Amino acid sequence: MPRRKIGGALGEMMRTAFQRPITKRYPFGSPEVSNRFRGKLDIDPVKCTGCGICAIVCPSPSTIEMVVAGKRRVGDRELEIQRPVFNLFNCISCGQCVDDCKFGALRLTKNFELATTDKNTLIMSKATEIAK
Amino acid sequence: MSEEEKSPVRRKAAAGLMQYSPENIVPFGPVHPALKEPEYFKLVLEGERIIEVYPKIGYVHRGIERAAQDRTWVQNIYLFERICGICSFAHSLAYSQTVEGLSTFEIPRRARYIRTIIAELERIHSHLLWLGLVGYWTGFDTLFMWIWKDREHVLDLVESITGNRVHKSFVTLSGVRKDLPDGIGDRIRTEMNYLEKRVDFYKELVSTEETLLTRTKGVGRINQEVARRLCPVGPLLRSTGIARDVRVEDPYAAYDEVVPDVKSSTDGDIASLIVLRLEEARESCRLVTHAMERIPQGPVRLTVPRIVPAGDNASHVEAPRGELIYFVRSGGKMLPERVKMRAPTLANILTAVEMLKGRPLADVPVVLTGMDPCFGCMDRIAVVDVNKQKEWAIRGEELRQLGIQYYKKGNMQ
Amino acid sequence: MTTAAILVEALIFPGLTFFVCIAFLFEWLERKTAARMQGRIGPVVAGRFGILQPVADFFKLASKEEMVPLYADRLVFDFGPQLFFAAPAMGLVFVPVTGPSSILSDPLDLLFMLFILAFSALMAALLGYSSAGRYSIIATGRLVLQYTGYEIPMIIAMVTPAVLAGSLSFDGIVAAQGTYWFILLAPISFACFLVAALAELEKPPFDIPSAKTEIVAGWMTEFSGRALAYVKLTKNLSYVFLSAIAVALFLGGPLGPVLSGNATVQSFFYLLYFLIKLFAVGFCIFAIRTALARVRIDQATRLFWTVITPLSLLQLGVALILR
Repeated sequence: MPRRKIGGALGEMMRTAFQRPITKRYPFGSPEVSNRFRGKLDIDPVKCTGCGICAIVCPSPSTIEMVVAGKRRVGDRELEIQRPVFNLFNCISCGQCVDDCKFGALRLTKNFELATTDKNTLIMSKATEIAK
Repeated sequence: MSEEEKSPVRRKAAAGLMQYSPENIVPFGPVHPALKEPEYFKLVLEGERIIEVYPKIGYVHRGIERAAQDRTWVQNIYLFERICGICSFAHSLAYSQTVEGLSTFEIPRRARYIRTIIAELERIHSHLLWLGLVGYWTGFDTLFMWIWKDREHVLDLVESITGNRVHKSFVTLSGVRKDLPDGIGDRIRTEMNYLEKRVDFYKELVSTEETLLTRTKGVGRINQEVARRLCPVGPLLRSTGIARDVRVEDPYAAYDEVVPDVKSSTDGDIASLIVLRLEEARESCRLVTHAMERIPQGPVRLTVPRIVPAGDNASHVEAPRGELIYFVRSGGKMLPERVKMRAPTLANILTAVEMLKGRPLADVPVVLTGMDPCFGCMDRIAVVDVNKQKEWAIRGEELRQLGIQYYKKGNMQ
Repeated sequence: MTTAAILVEALIFPGLTFFVCIAFLFEWLERKTAARMQGRIGPVVAGRFGILQPVADFFKLASKEEMVPLYADRLVFDFGPQLFFAAPAMGLVFVPVTGPSSILSDPLDLLFMLFILAFSALMAALLGYSSAGRYSIIATGRLVLQYTGYEIPMIIAMVTPAVLAGSLSFDGIVAAQGTYWFILLAPISFACFLVAALAELEKPPFDIPSAKTEIVAGWMTEFSGRALAYVKLTKNLSYVFLSAIAVALFLGGPLGPVLSGNATVQSFFYLLYFLIKLFAVGFCIFAIRTALARVRIDQATRLFWTVITPLSLLQLGVALILR
């Protein structure tokens, strides 16, 4: 049975008092996230082909919606071109769309500062602006 | 005759609480600084001593089992890991294991090892979190801050591997989603060495600090007879001397090759629970280092069809709090038919209530949190009709219609 | 001194305003040292090094809505915090700060101090009782029980220096410490006084009446807004008050080697010594508070009745013999 004493924490307290505190000084300093950190979603509009797989596998409802972004002629038919619109306020940054996109158009950045007062700033629709 | 007098069960239930005057009943929760999650405990006090405890659960019920029926098999992984923040990996692991059991493929060995490593890292983080909270509840803020300072090492390590500190989103239906990053072996070794030294320091501190010992020694004592009657799981069970652990009795992931040494103690009080969890954390450090040494090369996931064959399967894992059971029924479709989950806290809550009787009020936070509650995992609603002696689970639409009828009859307040 | 001069001194310097600033400084220092010992940084945003943080907290609380429980006793609930504040505020004018004599002094100072300490505890109990909430009632019970524990050793520990000095006034006790500080002659008394002070201030290990994780906020639970701002300020002020008493009774008050010069220079030195000693005592209390967990109420009272009281009596006996 170890001997019971009072104030056994004092030694460690004095030692810790003279070490550097581990508080990260964010927002007065950098947040130092790791390389694999899953932050805000980003799309490369050039690589996206509008296959729609990201919208099917996304676990968070109504995060990815496929919209009609244009039309193109194939032979004598006119087909719709679909592209995804991302409602990033619903996104849980799981990365399932990134894993499942065969064309590598999606990636998760290290940006986590997504707070905003206007929801519309979090709607990412740059994939719909395709070169005609 | 009134409602109470008609049914003997109802009479007894009414008498249970009614015999105490309202001045003696102190509500603990649902919102209370001592509880991380809301649950309602009606404490019947006499001065400072507790005579009876009536728990009422259901405050964090979110209908997750029902929500699982609307999502595909892979989407459900992300749903289930969000049941709890502390044992999130255990939930997604248990779910994946259960679903993989319905299919015929074998997951790669490297994936098994990686799952083991992350599961043990989560166990370390959970036990450190709990120990820090014990410090907080007994008024020992310094211990709380120090332990959470060391817990940051584990969380940063997990972030480097999986991308997030809490909801790791790392498990997928045939393994893990990504391989370990390069150079992580050295970092894991360094961090585990550091953590082993710190765990030894904390073990020394909590075994000798007088003020902490007076709050936890002899408090909430249970023995094997109580344990066999009320069936707790996890460290609560192991503190009574019954050394059961799912990782050893029914090995999953890589536990058949990286075998944990099950720790137990015989005192059964909170002080021994503290030491037991610290020893388990230290054992987890050893397991992580051991797994990193033995990890084989190979793929970490397979390409598998997104539709799971029909059938029923149940599987369990050792979450940091105890045995976590998942049951899955598949109808061979894109969406599961039924997923049922039994969290360890549901098995422990009655034991915790038993530990409370006869103790002074000041022990309530220490004891209730001695079982390391995770009410988020635990909650569920069942409908019991006392008169007809019948019990069933109610469906959402039925509940909605019941509410409409009730208020249509003019029961507005 | 004329009445006007006394009033100015008592209200501004070195009286109320001065001590309120010291109280804010104490709280800031406590938060910073506790943080550093725990590996974090404490307040940093309000003012340089966060030094204005307690002031910011005070003004924030004072600007919030006050919610009064339905069954509270309005008279005590509304005027109680003011009376609670008055107790240490009044006591502080009797402690020598800028010289061997204090602003107001009386041959029976010490008895008045004992009354003020008892009055403080009584007001706290009344505040808790008038709140008429479940948590407040439990907390008041604990407060009164703890009071029976610490009051007797505190009184005995305060009387011991009086016995050694042969005088019941603070001026007399401070003057008698010209050669030896009483901490050297009665160290056990000093230790007992510190432990009893921890209990009076409700700091760990004795912060049972306001145990945050058990009974929400103890007897302060139902207070909000301005009343809570004053209650918190009073607790900080009692902190300074008890440290000042400890300095005056055991550490020789403001006495120390001074440069000979005119009265202003001398009083500057006295003030400096007083402040150094005050912060030294405060620092002892911070260190003890950070290092220990909270004990249960029955364990605390058992400790006081069986250990601290006999020790202080022993020291009193030794002091009587020494004289």
